[in-house]
Amino acid sequence: MVVTTPAVEKPASPEELAQRLKEAAGQKLAVAPVGGGRASGMGDALQRCDVLLHTSKLDRVIEHSQSDMVVSVEAGITLEALQQELAKAGQFLPVDPFNSPGHTIGGLLATGWTGPLRLRYGSPRDFLIGIRVALPDGKLVTAGGRVVKNVSGYDMMKLHYGALGSLGVIVAASFKVFPIPMHDVTVTSAGGWNAATHALSAPVAPSALELDSKGRVLARYTGSRDAVGRVIDELGWKAADPSVWDAHARSAPETWARIAVPREELRRALQALPSGAEWWASPGVGVAHWAVESGPQSVIDMRSRVEAAGGTLVMLHAPDDFMREVGAWGKPPSTLGIQRRLKHAFDPEEVLNPGRFVV
Amino acid sequence: MVPDSVRAELRGIVGREAVIDAPNDLRIFERDGSIEGAIPDAVVLASSTEQVAGVIRVAARNRIPVVPRGAGTGLSGGAVTIRGGIALQMTRMRRILDIDPVAQTAIVEPGVVNQELSLVAAQHGLFYAPDPSSQKACTLGGNAAENSGGPHCLYYGVTTNHVLGMEVVLADGSVHWVSGDAPDRVGLDLCGVLVGSEGTLCAITKVKVRLLRIPPSIATMLAAFPSIETASQAVSAVIGHGIVPAALEMMDNVTVGAVEAHYHAGYPTDAGAVLLVEVDGIAESTRELMASIGRILSENQGYAMREAQTPAERELLWAGRKGAIGALGRIKPNYYLHDGVVPRSRLPQVLSAVGEIGVHYKLPVANVFHAGDGNLHPNILFDMRDKEVLPQVEAAGEEMLRAVVELGGALSGEHGIGLEKSAFMPWTYTEDDLDAMHRVKDVFDGDGILNPGKIFPDPSRKAVHLAGRTGLAVEAKWW
Repeated sequence: MVVTTPAVEKPASPEELAQRLKEAAGQKLAVAPVGGGRASGMGDALQRCDVLLHTSKLDRVIEHSQSDMVVSVEAGITLEALQQELAKAGQFLPVDPFNSPGHTIGGLLATGWTGPLRLRYGSPRDFLIGIRVALPDGKLVTAGGRVVKNVSGYDMMKLHYGALGSLGVIVAASFKVFPIPMHDVTVTSAGGWNAATHALSAPVAPSALELDSKGRVLARYTGSRDAVGRVIDELGWKAADPSVWDAHARSAPETWARIAVPREELRRALQALPSGAEWWASPGVGVAHWAVESGPQSVIDMRSRVEAAGGTLVMLHAPDDFMREVGAWGKPPSTLGIQRRLKHAFDPEEVLNPGRFVV
Repeated sequence: MVPDSVRAELRGIVGREAVIDAPNDLRIFERDGSIEGAIPDAVVLASSTEQVAGVIRVAARNRIPVVPRGAGTGLSGGAVTIRGGIALQMTRMRRILDIDPVAQTAIVEPGVVNQELSLVAAQHGLFYAPDPSSQKACTLGGNAAENSGGPHCLYYGVTTNHVLGMEVVLADGSVHWVSGDAPDRVGLDLCGVLVGSEGTLCAITKVKVRLLRIPPSIATMLAAFPSIETASQAVSAVIGHGIVPAALEMMDNVTVGAVEAHYHAGYPTDAGAVLLVEVDGIAESTRELMASIGRILSENQGYAMREAQTPAERELLWAGRKGAIGALGRIKPNYYLHDGVVPRSRLPQVLSAVGEIGVHYKLPVANVFHAGDGNLHPNILFDMRDKEVLPQVEAAGEEMLRAVVELGGALSGEHGIGLEKSAFMPWTYTEDDLDAMHRVKDVFDGDGILNPGKIFPDPSRKAVHLAGRTGLAVEAKWW
């Protein structure tokens, strides 16, 4: 229960952030790290919140090595600001999260949010090559580096990716970046699942393919001119303006959930949604987002079906009462015991985001 | 170190003949592919997850080290029982349990050989992307433990990008699945942390991997260059043009000579260096990409460019690359190599440093490596029978690695830290960084029975000789 207005801290450097975190932890004050606030609805309600620790002033590009195609940034930089910098060199970070614009890099890493481009490029988990994290004891620790391949020691990037700031606050990160594709063409079809499946099984896979509950399919093809040209001809779909992707990325209903299942199960899983439910999906990935218009019980029912198929249903935003009733995460993982021990090893006083994440 | 009562218990779990402890038999398990060895007290051949769990429980109760071991092809001493104890041999667990052509996934036991999976998956038009040069022998369990790489990881990513989930046995003998089904899990990414943990956090008993569709068209080109420097510049130029080939490999003159004598693959022996470039996709795409690459290479002094015209020709070109280290045996019987990684743009500098170090120590060095990733493999060639030479070889290796670090690089791109590079970890990580990793170790294996003596520096065993190499700017300011 939040009883007081939390203090707002906006440290101007990673060192200062680590110091603030240490001071708060020393007084056993509960700390919630804040990035762009785009995913602030994710997770269960905080049990306590004394300090809001913003990364907004940590917004520098530390180094962009164009020829190495590697960039290092502070965690508070927005995705858009980073893309603008990379675009000067014809490069980009292939992530296009929903509820854009305004995500910070630290927020994206902490939440593990992704978008349609995951089909071709994977998630930031796959191209995050270095990370710097402030721990509750005030230490600033680094893992990985600025090279595209690195197996020196444990992969600590994975420990913090998607951990919702429960083990530490991400203050900087390095990425492998990608060339902006030479040709980038978007096409659309009203053909629903059949059209989507057809496009996904063609010899050239799209870089992104989204299907929605109205049966609209959007596909994005990137690569060499001849290859893109051939596949577009063979598909015979209508050309679409590339701005549809920006509109798509702004999607963020008042109450919404992310459904992730083995991709071959996705169609069946979505058939179990209440009739008339609105959703959009990446069928090639196995992820769908559901704009929940029905009551909490429908989410609970859907979640049990999804979990039975080996999947997860995570609430991304909902009114407080709704969230309390359904819970953000669903069934705890079977390794919860080890996960709790990891939490304890890094945040023994449980000052980081108490009650919000799984551990 | 393994008392008789424990041996009896182990035999009770895996069967009488599956515990090896005759001194002569144990010697086979003394090393992996690196140069330092240690003889285990016992070797246990496990046939099932239950047996692995049983063995680890017995070992934990008796505080005996356990070192999981695959085919023993590792190059960093990861499978060496440096503190004695049990080598837990996983190669009897070699079944492919499931290939799902619709989901494009496979579930395998840890002893399945890397290449075997791709051969079997090919029946469904699928393949497993990470392809270490030892892929004919190395196991998928070992690959997951080491987070192995390979030539085609330039485009496709390394092992961790392809492991969807694992069944693991922890230090207390408990068995867990980590990740495995849905693309987004709930909770911490234990699977991601365990891949590449080099047998120090768990034993891997099943691996679920992603399979990819075999591209309909593959184009492979060999190009000669006057020098390593010009070839390095060509590598940067290709990638600088926004082209990320499936593979982009470099071999120097020494390597090319040995390879050509052995394989007769048509490698130009007069070249200072050659590049092997591969692109894949549909025919339209490979044609267009290869035309661009050919143009960029010739603008950068590439010559004698030759594209494989048949699958057999392509295989021969790759046989030369993947068998290169074996072919170096023509020059000297032994080799020692590190696999440091530098930012690609630093390749010319680091390779010239490597060359100077070889000259300084009067040791022949053959470079054959993943140039597109900036991932070096300088093979220092020597003869182990010459007792004087080994310290020289190790010192040269250390200097080369130091040069890598001073140019902003990392200690290992794919072989792992293991035994041989643990002393150098403080070159790139602070005490606090290593402490954070140690917290993870303590959570998973508080008693330190799983593969002890690896990854973390052990000053009692090996001291670092170098504080820094003069003449190179220290550019490893990480943040």
